[in-house]
Amino acid sequence: MSQAARADLHTANALTTDLLPTYRQALDAADTFQNAAKASVTRLIAPEGRVSGALVTQEQTAAHGYAWLATYVAALRETLAWAERREAAGELGEVERLIVQIGFGEYLHQLTGGIAMSQGEAVRPQDLGVELEAVKAFEADSAVQALRREGNTNAARMRLTVLLRDGFDRLHFGAPGLDETLEMVRDQFRKLAESHAEAAHQWHLKDELIPLEVVEQLAEMGVFGLTVPEEHGGLGMGKMAMCVVTEELSRGYIGLGSLGTRSEIAAELIRLGGTEEQKAHYLPKIASGEILPTAVFTEPNTGSDLGSLRTRALRDGETYRVTGNKTWITHAARSDLMTLLVRTNPDEPGYKGLSMFLAEKPRGDDANPFPAKGMTGGEIKVLGYRGMKEYELAFDEFEVPASGLLGGEEGQGFKHLMATFESARIQTAARAVGVAQNAMELGLSYAMDRVQFGNPIADFPRVAGKIAMMAVETMMARQLTYFAAREKDSERRCDIEAGKAKLLGARVAWSNADNALQIHGGNGYAEEYKISRVLCDARILNIFEGAAEIQAQVIARGLIAGRN
Amino acid sequence: MKILVPVKRVLDPYVKVRVKQDQSGVDLANAKMAMNPFCEIAVEQAIRLKEAKQASEIVLVSAGAQQAQETLRTGLAMGADRAILIKSDSVLEPLAVAKLLKAVVEKEDPGLVLMGKQAVDDDNNQTGQMLAALLGWPQGTFISKIEVLDDAIQITREIDGGLETLKLQRPAVLTADLRLCEPRYASLPNIMKAKKKPLDTMTPEDLGVSVEQRLTIQKVEEPPTRQAGIKVSSVAELVEKLQKEAKVL
Repeated sequence: MSQAARADLHTANALTTDLLPTYRQALDAADTFQNAAKASVTRLIAPEGRVSGALVTQEQTAAHGYAWLATYVAALRETLAWAERREAAGELGEVERLIVQIGFGEYLHQLTGGIAMSQGEAVRPQDLGVELEAVKAFEADSAVQALRREGNTNAARMRLTVLLRDGFDRLHFGAPGLDETLEMVRDQFRKLAESHAEAAHQWHLKDELIPLEVVEQLAEMGVFGLTVPEEHGGLGMGKMAMCVVTEELSRGYIGLGSLGTRSEIAAELIRLGGTEEQKAHYLPKIASGEILPTAVFTEPNTGSDLGSLRTRALRDGETYRVTGNKTWITHAARSDLMTLLVRTNPDEPGYKGLSMFLAEKPRGDDANPFPAKGMTGGEIKVLGYRGMKEYELAFDEFEVPASGLLGGEEGQGFKHLMATFESARIQTAARAVGVAQNAMELGLSYAMDRVQFGNPIADFPRVAGKIAMMAVETMMARQLTYFAAREKDSERRCDIEAGKAKLLGARVAWSNADNALQIHGGNGYAEEYKISRVLCDARILNIFEGAAEIQAQVIARGLIAGRN
Repeated sequence: MKILVPVKRVLDPYVKVRVKQDQSGVDLANAKMAMNPFCEIAVEQAIRLKEAKQASEIVLVSAGAQQAQETLRTGLAMGADRAILIKSDSVLEPLAVAKLLKAVVEKEDPGLVLMGKQAVDDDNNQTGQMLAALLGWPQGTFISKIEVLDDAIQITREIDGGLETLKLQRPAVLTADLRLCEPRYASLPNIMKAKKKPLDTMTPEDLGVSVEQRLTIQKVEEPPTRQAGIKVSSVAELVEKLQKEAKVL
């Protein structure tokens, strides 16, 4: 590429005129289109008003496609709302404007052109049974047409990447729009995570547990008590702060951002479902990091279908004896408290027979990972998401005192667990955003340094375009995540919003990691480069805390049944 | 003992410095700002003295634009007790800052002023020394170790060729070098507490100090781009080039 041609691309102007009203109009059109899709999917899975389980299975593609469509429209809405807030504050810069523009350009296209639920799985209006008129009306809208034509252009992507390169050392990839306190939180945790970034790559390569000193450092920083109420020894800071902390820690290493996940789940279980004694006893210890919890729900034959869970707890006086197998238990050896989901009533084969226990266990070490009587375990070797390790556990008459029954009442286990899903999904969405951001920065950094054919490869449109899309989608997923967190902090039901944030965030983390690795070429496939690890770490996000398919199912059912 | 810790808001040290096109100074538009790293070290040391019960109160002070408030909040979140912002949009030279700090010292009456040895933006390394002179106090500069004695203070300074240990009478002005200590991260509980800590704002006029500019910056330039080196084929050629071209032998 000649110098003149490069200079030209670097100054090519994006649409920088006042476009906010155009976005608003396009969003209205997208809303109308979503309503048409909702009507057609409702006809497919709830022809008589109530959602039919059998029809949801039969029409799974349509139902899940609708969930994705709704996720896209929500992402557009929150991205625009973010831009409007920035505009009102007089802080809508060129990076932010380009993010909105490219994001709208791309997603408005995909809404009727095909949404990538995963690679190789595009869902299109005909899959949802949407009337042709609705598609035509959407595509005929003047704002939609303008943005589809001029939103996500090569020039816009090139310009955004120039700005991202320019802002790289300032970490300016679009202002997330946080207040002064959260900016400080972000800054402190970014520095902290950065200080561990090199070591974390070694933990991964050596497949080691995150050192206990680091866990203790996070405890001192207040990570484990972040959302625990102040009266129970926590900070009562809310889910927005949790998102910011989680994102920055995960940007350094997913393991750092995930250490708090189990504390968050355990604390939510106890806060929402525990007796006063359980709250007073456990919450301060979880908040201080003295107790590291682990979540023991999944079984070898029970993943998404929790209702079929088989591990039994039999009451014997003041003790329950637990027998059965659990798997995919993260951080199981080095933890002190299990939130253990078991069946207490064998006559109730479904959800109603389940109970949640707070089961203490001695912390294990390398020599003896599971010292408790009646409990054994083995490590499951995994591609990524190491640092806490994964285990399968076997219980044989493992004893839990009756006082450990959460809330003191049997049969409430599934209800207890459901109540934590909102927080857990928001937290996982924030982890995904952090991993996505890390991947984008690794790709950008490599593309700026790597010279081929006489130019940094970031000059080449196919490389710059990848980087730009990573930055755009990361910000869209971030704004959707923040929205779910703000809803939760306002005590509004947000299970569907949280699910959408997790669904999109996980896909973006994976595509960012994949594209950033591609930018690295062969080097990205070498273990020594961090992106090789980030790829492995990113892959789990589409699976845990509700696999992408079950996530879409839950969102679709909720939306069609009229929740939220 | 009360410790006064002056802190400065500077361009983030990890950010690439860009010179303004008209060469009038460094481009700070949209730049990421942070607390000067040497000031962070001074704040950390003051907190450690307080944790060791050798200090009773830590007061931060910063002179500069309104945004310096964010820098003060960071120091409060690290663990300082309260903060003073001397708000001024003028260019503040070391002597003007030293005079402002002298006025604050006279109001606050600290037993120790602990500050960074220099700010990484203009690298003057003057304010601490000037302040000590204006106050007529002992000064200990570039300190890498500190020990509080009953009525004095013992410090270790990093000097060319070794370490120098001095005993100073209190009150004194100390300036921190890199190896004094490693600053902590502000924890979430402390960030929350910092929101409620007092932060007073005053102006140079309130303190009766003139901050009139005495220096003029003629021009700021980027350092010249480093030229590519050459390969020599023998020691003889190297020696010859060092003698004739580089003229260092």
